[in-house]
This record gives sequence, C-alpha cells and structure tokens, in this order.
Amino acid sequence: MNTTHPAAAAVQVQEPRPRRKWSQILRVALLYLIAILFLFPFYIAVVYSIKTPVETAQSPLAFPTHIAWSNYAEAIEASNFFLALRNSVLTTVGTVALTIAVCSMAAYVIARNNTRFYNFFYYLFMSSIMLPFQVLMFPLYKTWSELSLLNTIPGLIIALTGVQIGYFAFLYVGFIKTVPKELEESAVLDGASRYRTFYSIIFPLLKPINSTILVLSALGAWNDFVVSMILVQKKEASTLPLVQFQFFGEYTSQVNMAFAAIILSMIPIMIFYLFAQKWIIGGVTAGAVKG
Amino acid sequence: MTHRIRDEWVKFTFIIPALLFFVLVVVFPFIRGLNIAFTNWDGIAPTYDYVGLRNLQLLFTDTELLDPIKNTLLFTVITTICINVFGLLLAVALNTKFPGVNLLKSFIFMPMVISLVLAAIIWRYIYSDIFPILFQTDGGLLGNPTTVMIGIAIICVWKEIGLAMVIYYAGLQTIPKDMYESARIDGATSYKQFTKITVPLLLPAFTYCIPLWIGTGLRQFDYPMVATKGGPGTSSQTLAMYVYNYEFPYFKAGYGQMAALVLFIFILIVTVIITSYFRRREVEY
Repeated sequence: MNTTHPAAAAVQVQEPRPRRKWSQILRVALLYLIAILFLFPFYIAVVYSIKTPVETAQSPLAFPTHIAWSNYAEAIEASNFFLALRNSVLTTVGTVALTIAVCSMAAYVIARNNTRFYNFFYYLFMSSIMLPFQVLMFPLYKTWSELSLLNTIPGLIIALTGVQIGYFAFLYVGFIKTVPKELEESAVLDGASRYRTFYSIIFPLLKPINSTILVLSALGAWNDFVVSMILVQKKEASTLPLVQFQFFGEYTSQVNMAFAAIILSMIPIMIFYLFAQKWIIGGVTAGAVKG
Repeated sequence: MTHRIRDEWVKFTFIIPALLFFVLVVVFPFIRGLNIAFTNWDGIAPTYDYVGLRNLQLLFTDTELLDPIKNTLLFTVITTICINVFGLLLAVALNTKFPGVNLLKSFIFMPMVISLVLAAIIWRYIYSDIFPILFQTDGGLLGNPTTVMIGIAIICVWKEIGLAMVIYYAGLQTIPKDMYESARIDGATSYKQFTKITVPLLLPAFTYCIPLWIGTGLRQFDYPMVATKGGPGTSSQTLAMYVYNYEFPYFKAGYGQMAALVLFIFILIVTVIITSYFRRREVEY
C-alpha cells in the first residue's frame, strides 16, 4: 500500500515545483527588504551629514540636491576629530598588542600544564568573564586616580587589556590544546629554551587564534564606551566614542554637523569591516560553536 | 634538582604579565569593592565607617529600586527574545544559495561593528525626526515614559541581531546535511524538520546565546545611558545605572558598591541556572 506508482511519484515531484519557486522568490525578496531596513539608519546618517539645516527641515528623508561638505569641515574642527582619532588608534593598537602578548603566553603554560596550580589561574581568569563591570567600576576609578592613570592613554590600555584577559585567555587555551605537542618536545630536546620554543615554534602556529583575538580586541577597544567613560573625563585622552557622546550633548542644535562627525568616526571601522569581515565573523562565533 | 626548580620558575614567568594586569584591573578592585560595600563611604572623604549590613538592608527596602528592576527585566526580555528568535530565523533563511546572500549577511551584521554610541545617537534622530513622517506619530518612543524602554530595546535588537544570526548560522553548518535528506525522504515537512532536527541540534548555540543576552540585558548600562541618560525622569533607568548614579553623581559609594555586588550575584545565579538548563538538553549525535 505504501509503495507509490512510479508515475504518481514523478507527478508528486513535478507538481510542487512552481509553488516552491514562487515561495523562494518571495522569501528572497523579503530578505532583501529586511536587509534594506537594516541599512536604513546608515542611510539616514549619511544623508543628514551632507545636508544643509534648511533642507533637513524640509525633507529629512530625501537625498540632498546640494551636498554640504562644509558640515564635515566644521565637524572636524568642532569635535577635534584628529585628536580623538589619534587617541582611539593608540588605545586600540596598544590594547591589541598587549592582549595578544600576555594572553598567548599565559594560555600556553595553562594549556600545557594540567596541574592544580595552573588550573587555579585558569579558573581565576575565567571567573572574570561573568563579572559585570559595575562591580569594578568605582574601585578601579579610585585606584586609577591614586596611580595617576586617570585621563591617560596607557591607563585606558591597561584597563581594557585587564578586563578582556579572562575571555581571551579562555579562547587561547581552547586553541592551544588542539596544537600537537610533538614539535615543541623535539625543540626542547634539542636544547632550545622555553621562550625560544614559544616564540619560534608555538606562536607562529597560533596564527588563526591570533587573528581572532586581534579582531575581537580591536573591535572591543575601538568601540568601548563604559570603561573609557569611567576612566577618561578630559578631552586630551578622549577616544572617538567619548567625543561623540560629549559632542551630541553640546551640539544638539547643529544636527548636520554632528552627523558628519558620526560618519567620520564610522569610516575607519567600516574600512576595517570591509577587509576583515571574514575574521570578525569567525572571531565572534569562535567561542560559541566548536569545530 | 635545581634545574627542575629553575624550569618551573621559567614556566611560571609566562603567566606573570597576564597575572599582573589581571590583579591590577580585576582582582584588586574587586577586593577593594568588597570592602567599600560594607562602609558608608561617600567616595571622596579620607575616612569612613563600617556599617555592617546596613547598605544591604537599605537596598532591599528602597522602593525606588522597583522601577530600575522593571526596566531592566523588560529590556532583557524584549532583547533576548527578539534577537534570538529573529536571529535564528534569519540564519535559517540565509542558509540557502541565492544571488547576493553573502551581501545580505554582511549588511545585517554591519550594525554590530559600529560603536553603540553612534547607534544610539542615530536612532535618537530616527525616533524624533523620521518616525513622525513615516508613522504620523509625535514625540517618538524615547520621549514617552511608557515606551522609552521599548525604544531603547529596538536599538539594541537592530545592532545585535547580526551577532545572533552569524552564531546560529555557524551552528547550522555543523548539522549533517544527510539528516535533512533522510527526513525529507520520510516525508517530514520543513516545519517538522525545523522543530525536530534544527532546533535540537542547535542547542549548543542556544546554550551560548540565550545566557549571553540575558546576562548583557541584566547588566545593561550603555544603551540607555547614551540614548536617554535614564530619562525622561528616571523612566529608563536600569539597575546598572542605579549603581553608577550612587557611586558617582550621588556620592554614596558604599551603598552603590553593595548594589553592584547584589546585581553581580543575581546575574551569576540567573546565568548559571539558565546555562545548566540548556546544557542538560543538549543531544549527542
């Protein structure tokens, strides 16, 4: 009873085809619509940044008839853009370099020594992943003020590195455990020091995880708001997100110039996204899915 | 023997740099915070008194805490549900081949890479300038105490849905294709395939994503801080902002620090329970 006649089976396969095709087209169209919706805020930001206030008032949604580049010149000056850019670049580069250097080394000994002593440090680092920054916020601020690290780029770099160590060491340990031990064992037998073994044999093998940590810590440092907001109040050390936050409080009446400042600070991260998209997406999924 | 000790010491030096930063930024402030939480310190004066559990008692009797609790929970529920449900649906929908599929994925993920400050500022103007034109409303979601949390949650959903999408998408790639094939041969509808294959086999991704967004929701600080500074009035104040306000502008560091600790313990308990709930349901295949 269950066996279908070959002809009937052929009809069954043939018949739903046109319907499936239409539903597929409909689904793709819907997905395109959703993507456009996601891009809409970016469109608004771009359009606002190149409009005159008069045109913005008349037709906020339309593309401008005349492009007001002067918004950008004003924004660069009023927000002291290049100072903030410099601070953001220094903070990000410093945090990334420090994070990769200290986390890879620590993770290496933790991954290779399954002893109670090193496991203790592993769980100590891991426990900070769950810790909300609010718990550290005030005492960290006090400590930084006593050490004269408030309102300095090195102070910000140290703090951003410290709060990220837990998660990144965890990712490193997971990766290093998959790296075979044989290579380093023969190096040790040949009389190479532990440091030489690490830097000339292990570290080059960590390339995939290094690029993951690089993009994650770069994004984290570049976009950080909460840690910087607590530790930096002065303009000299303010990064782009802080300047944006202040700037919008001061210039709510000059919307177009403020949006030009937004677009300016978006450009570096968009270029980064364009070139490093594969690693960014690989990085954010690294901790979530095994294999 | 001395060689062995030397070698153990060399090994230990690998962990020292990370440990120094970690102690300075996390361990030491944490211990210092534990101490502050039991004092009446204003955060500035050179002296303070220990007040035992009085801060805790004050915290649990403060009726002004009810609104931040309500706001935080509302934000957490909206963002966790929307981000995970729509992120999963998008991942499934984009898990086929059609022209431009990769482009669409990069567009939906794009808000994730910009800073939250920019996202919140752009949306502030969308609510105040664009929504009135599109939907003929006035004032916008952020200006109204009853809708402000929803408005802030929408910003978060827009920004973070891409992250959920790529995580679920990566999870989908780990499911063997022949499972769907044999299900199709058995006559399972695509709805059945979704509920009987996709969802159970994606549980590791759920175990990661759901506690992640519940955790970030419960400690939410930056979206409301940038979008509304807690306003109008205190109608979008979250628990983390409550902590911040007492530690900094109100000069009640001892009380604020106790509130921070209670928030931490609460988040820890919630995430541990939820994580273990999902982990128990994961299947081997």
